[in-house]
Amino acid sequence: MMSTILLMACITFFTRYLFLHRDLPFKVGPKMQQFLSFSAPAVLTAIWVPIVFVTDEGINLDWQNPYLSAAIAAIIVAYKTHNIYYTTLVGMGLFLILN
Amino acid sequence: MTLSTKRALLKGFLDMLPLCLAVIPWGILCGSLAIQNGFSAFETQAMSLLVFAGSAQLVAIELMAGNTPLLTILFTTFIISSRHFLYGLAVRHKVIDQPLRWRLPVSFVLTDELFAFSHHRKAYRNKTRLIYALSAGFSFYITWNLWTLIGIVAGSLLPDLTNLGLDFAIAATFIALVIPGIKNLATLATVVSAGVVATVLKSQGFELWLVAAALSAMTIGYLISRIQDKLEHN
Repeated sequence: MMSTILLMACITFFTRYLFLHRDLPFKVGPKMQQFLSFSAPAVLTAIWVPIVFVTDEGINLDWQNPYLSAAIAAIIVAYKTHNIYYTTLVGMGLFLILN
Repeated sequence: MTLSTKRALLKGFLDMLPLCLAVIPWGILCGSLAIQNGFSAFETQAMSLLVFAGSAQLVAIELMAGNTPLLTILFTTFIISSRHFLYGLAVRHKVIDQPLRWRLPVSFVLTDELFAFSHHRKAYRNKTRLIYALSAGFSFYITWNLWTLIGIVAGSLLPDLTNLGLDFAIAATFIALVIPGIKNLATLATVVSAGVVATVLKSQGFELWLVAAALSAMTIGYLISRIQDKLEHN
């Protein structure tokens, strides 16, 4: 098992390090940079939205879904306050009450 | 230690703290699931110390326990980790002028969570910013390993926190990181399409759901911003 773990570690490190390596045979041009400027909102949203909607049974669009109500509350707080602590507290608080 | 170094260390820690806490359920699960599946305590902790990638760890634990062939495990790890290529590419121009002694530790802790704090124009560009990033990155590393250890020691005594719905904590923190950054139509379109595409693809069990959703959403955001640039110039 230890050898599998070491190989996995090499793979995750490789994927993280590769583009921070200096000698690569290409340059990121301005258009590519503009494209990449959307990577953070794209990836982070692609991670959190399925947490809200996807269950083992499929997509849950029910308004009674506590994930959905808590997410909407969190979105409103995030939009109004720009504060990660308030957003997480209100989102988690409402979620725990509803769940 | 200068004042600015101390401030950067503290700010990195405090900015990452909500995310460190939000992953408690996953960290504990990584520890307890591995123990339940016959991993030794040493192997379990080594996985969090060396691999340091929650989703890849959870999937690999189940695959290894099911005697899956090594190549399948490694390929799956690669697929799950492939989003890191995007992170490296996106921060490359900010970090690349730094010497290897900075780039190596930064890349080691370049998780989803650290990437979320990498959007600032000056991120990684000076020593204070690097210390900030490493403080955030390694405080996440240390807490992730602490949660794993708790899972190893007390996993059998604790309920599965992810089944209690505590996985919502990650969603809440990511909402807090994404929503304030939506300042124009292109970013709004990126966020909406990333959410829709990821939800559909993941519910269909498509393995590359995350990277596919991210790339298509980035394309939509990019195209809208290009069209807007053209309209402004005309």
